[in-house]
Amino acid sequence: MMSQKAALKHLSTLLFSLLILSVSFSRAQDAAAGKAVFMSKCASCHNVLKKATGPALAGLEERHKWADHKELLAWINNPAAYMAKDPYTQGLKAEYGSMMTAFPDVTLQDVSNVVAYVNEAAKPAPVPAAGAGDSAQGSDNQNSVLFGVISLLLGVIALILMQVNSNLKKLSDQAEGVTLPEGIPFWRNKTNIAILSIVFFVFGGYMVAKGAIGLGRQKDYQPVQPIYYSHKVHAGINQINCLYCHGSAEQSKHAAIPSVNTCMNCHKAIQAYEKGPKLFDEEGNEIDGTAEIQKLYAYAGFDPNNPNKWDPSMAKPIEWIKIHNLPDHVYFSHAQHVTAGKVQCQSCHGEIQAMGEVKQVSDLSMGWCINCHRETKVQFNYDSTKGNKFYSIYEKFHNDIKSGKMDSVTVKDIGGLECQKCHY
Amino acid sequence: MRKNILLTGTLALALVFAACNSVRREEGRVYMPDMAYSRAYETYASTAALQEAGVHYNARPVEGTVARGAMAAYPFANDSVGYVRSAEVKNPLDVAAIDMTEAERIYLINCGICHGTKLDGNGPLWKGGDGPYTAAPRNLIGDPLALNMAEGTMFHSITYGKNLMGGYGSQLSSKQRWEIVAYIKLKQIEAGGGATAAAAPAGN
Repeated sequence: MMSQKAALKHLSTLLFSLLILSVSFSRAQDAAAGKAVFMSKCASCHNVLKKATGPALAGLEERHKWADHKELLAWINNPAAYMAKDPYTQGLKAEYGSMMTAFPDVTLQDVSNVVAYVNEAAKPAPVPAAGAGDSAQGSDNQNSVLFGVISLLLGVIALILMQVNSNLKKLSDQAEGVTLPEGIPFWRNKTNIAILSIVFFVFGGYMVAKGAIGLGRQKDYQPVQPIYYSHKVHAGINQINCLYCHGSAEQSKHAAIPSVNTCMNCHKAIQAYEKGPKLFDEEGNEIDGTAEIQKLYAYAGFDPNNPNKWDPSMAKPIEWIKIHNLPDHVYFSHAQHVTAGKVQCQSCHGEIQAMGEVKQVSDLSMGWCINCHRETKVQFNYDSTKGNKFYSIYEKFHNDIKSGKMDSVTVKDIGGLECQKCHY
Repeated sequence: MRKNILLTGTLALALVFAACNSVRREEGRVYMPDMAYSRAYETYASTAALQEAGVHYNARPVEGTVARGAMAAYPFANDSVGYVRSAEVKNPLDVAAIDMTEAERIYLINCGICHGTKLDGNGPLWKGGDGPYTAAPRNLIGDPLALNMAEGTMFHSITYGKNLMGGYGSQLSSKQRWEIVAYIKLKQIEAGGGATAAAAPAGN
């Protein structure tokens, strides 16, 4: 009997909690279903908080007659018919340059759900706890200062102890009555002078040689660019392929610096830096990503409030500072290395997808080039999917000579009649 | 003992040098500037001095010319009339002969970041609304608008851009753009796309 009662009690609690759960779910479903509809039908052109192809949807119930969802439904189901007798939506078309696509299959329930989602998404998100990044940065700096102070203190203590030691020795010698000849001061001690001069020559020679080798080399060069452009954010976090912006690396001597319109492919829509980690420059100052995007807009002549009125032909080039410089007497082709050699960008440029500000990782010296050419294996034409076809012509000659089709290969056959062989 | 002093001194010096790993903001110097710096105008060098001297340099090709080996220019302008008429244009490439691995590679580099590696409109820039992009990219294999879009219109949109999407005329050659169109149409059929989509490449 008792156990049955207990079971009944359990069952009732279970039912009750299920009821509560279902109530809370049915409330959430409103906005959740709205989100699904919004993502599949509206999100291509509308953003909740920002102007996109169409207006921002936040606060739409306060505009026009949209508080009445039936009006909204009539507009969404057939924009052309609705606009014919409605000056407000005619104004919208004039402002945004195009009319909304009709969605005849949207129902009143869908509209209410979407509005519920929009209202929920428009609420300001709680500010996440800040300062985690700050303290990490700070402790790093503090550590190096601490180490410096400690080593300085230890050095001073060592000096004092040595001085004390020598004084004590002098005293004990005096007490024992041992009379030592007047010592020569240490700067006139020949052994010391010899050691010092050897150290000076070794150290000085090393510094001179290092400085001389470093002349004309720019390893670690990391100039301040006109815009703080983070490869870490673009190529790292957002996984944009290097060749999206530097596409000509496959076809040209140069890996192109993208023109402003390539930036605007994405930044027409991405107008603020909100979702990534905090940005810092090499000096540790925090960077405002949104302000950097505004700098891009100044070059592009783009007005974020009027995205559809942008005229790309009015853009001004950004004068980025070239980091990887080779002397004039060195010829280097990106196409040869990227397309034929199948060399990864990172092999020479380092972990570029982790860099906030780009710096030159390799020293680009002749020894560095030669070393890679000694070690890199040529990827011949293994099959149709792997390797480059750059040397396939030699394979053909080889086979033709073997089969007796050719008896020799002339300079003409290997491109000797190309104009550029002589006239470059 | 003197040696000890020297040793501590050197160590302290080394520590000091190791501690100042400052950021290198300067280019540095070169041995022979006349061999290091080009006298000729290099790519990306400023042409401001030329302009001051009255020489106006324009990097654009002469209007109406076609580069050797390139395809003839696309005939329609970037306006609403051009958009409607673009549907007449057919893919000039032999679709069966297109290297689809190469087309896929170009698609993944240039389109995949928004439209997704699976063409489902969910690339890393959108991530179901969690990415930085503010508008949902078109689902190329699920949205009827994309499924029913004529290949010429698709080419027009890739060339000039449409809505929030930018134009790729400067980044991709005509041939590459047509290859991408063929690749998308192929994927639409594989995903069981509309009959209109199937009709287009089957023409060849």
